Amino acid sequence: MTAAATIVWIATLWIYAGSAVAVVFLLIGIDRIDADARGSYTFRPLLVPGIILLWPLVLFRWLQLESGVDPNRSRDRAIRSAHGWVWALLAILIPALFISAMLLRQTPPDGEPAVQLSTRQD
Amino acid sequence: MSVKYSPVQWTRSKIFYDIVLALMVVSYILIYIRVSPQFLDHARLADDAIVRARAFGTCAFFMLTVILCIGPLARLDRRFLPLLYNRRHFGVLTFFVALTHMLYVLDWYFNFSPIPRLEAMLSANTSYGHVLGFPFETLGVLSLLALAILAATSHDFWLRFLTAPVWKSLHYLLYAAYALLVGHVALGSLQSENNPTFAIVVGASVLLVCGLHIAAAWREHRLAAPGAREDTWYLAGDLKDFEEGRAKIVNFGNGRRAAVFLYGGKLSAISNACAHQNGPLGEGRITGSCVTCPWHGFEYRLEDGRSPEPFTERVPTYNLRLDGTSVLVNAVANPPGTFVQPLEVAEQVV
Repeated sequence: MTAAATIVWIATLWIYAGSAVAVVFLLIGIDRIDADARGSYTFRPLLVPGIILLWPLVLFRWLQLESGVDPNRSRDRAIRSAHGWVWALLAILIPALFISAMLLRQTPPDGEPAVQLSTRQD
Repeated sequence: MSVKYSPVQWTRSKIFYDIVLALMVVSYILIYIRVSPQFLDHARLADDAIVRARAFGTCAFFMLTVILCIGPLARLDRRFLPLLYNRRHFGVLTFFVALTHMLYVLDWYFNFSPIPRLEAMLSANTSYGHVLGFPFETLGVLSLLALAILAATSHDFWLRFLTAPVWKSLHYLLYAAYALLVGHVALGSLQSENNPTFAIVVGASVLLVCGLHIAAAWREHRLAAPGAREDTWYLAGDLKDFEEGRAKIVNFGNGRRAAVFLYGGKLSAISNACAHQNGPLGEGRITGSCVTCPWHGFEYRLEDGRSPEPFTERVPTYNLRLDGTSVLVNAVANPPGTFVQPLEVAEQVV
């Protein structure tokens, strides 16, 4: 099995598992852990893609809320405290990536056949 | 706020915003499809399907650029705040535009592959060791995956379910999505275009996004410089430096910040982080004895950090004391919703 086939196979399994979690969570779990969801049904289909993508996190939070261990203390932490250094890094990385790609750009000469890079002899 | 969930919380302004947004996207795509074949000079002739794929791809790039500019612009200039309030729909639409781009690419380049199309795309080029000829498609797929996570978790339920810090940390993926997208464009489409226009526009957008974020981060750092420490008490400022109806932000250096408000000759301090998405309450507008979060309009009473009934959001409050004319705030936060008697300073302020 190639690496690409393995990735697609894992992604397929992930989607199946996420779909199963979505059914159980939206039919049973959500009413148990969120009072605002009780009696509201029309918004639930919108949650399906998120549950499929993040089903391990959904199970973890569901378990956390069911067991009463809700880390409320962290709710007031300033989440943008990381913003400054994240962008100090990205402001170097993103322009460097763009400039490197432009400098290394290979302009194909008109009329010449394309050269396969993996077999090119430099 | 704390009310029953609905699929989409429409308001008159949100409907207007979404209509304008949809019209702009449709106009861009139609104009691109009509104009670009004559204007953009590709090394190899692009047929209609490729032009359509590129129309959606470039549109997604520009939409993501605008989304990333809205946050810092709103922090630098309050007039941009209305754009921030409706950014969620913008993000979801960006995902669908990017997804359409990918579906066009799969349909055109990999439709007759004997293996599944996604598998064909991921296995067609595996030269990860080369800069030239790098499999830029993978960068696009990863960027789309990040956008999918952001769009799929954009409903209010996720904020409450994951808690604001976790939700917001997850949404830092937007920055990764942008970096991956720049790589996807620079190592992909820009490698084969002879006309430099798009490369210049992409370069300018990269500078704009990075510049705005650095400027906003610098402004925030300047506004929230840590005060002088005395045990657990931090200096918020001198009384004469406080402006009526405005706040001073105190950075405790542990990820927490207090906003100290002067209103009606009184001082009160609450957490600077809104319970909704941790928006900067210290930059909010005061109405009566409540502050309104500048991001999404959540309100909190300044004496106890509670949202007015029937809402149930609460933020921590902080104790204040005067040392001469210096205002000191205790870094030990009270539990969310704790009443703290406001500090009367009307005489000193006058």
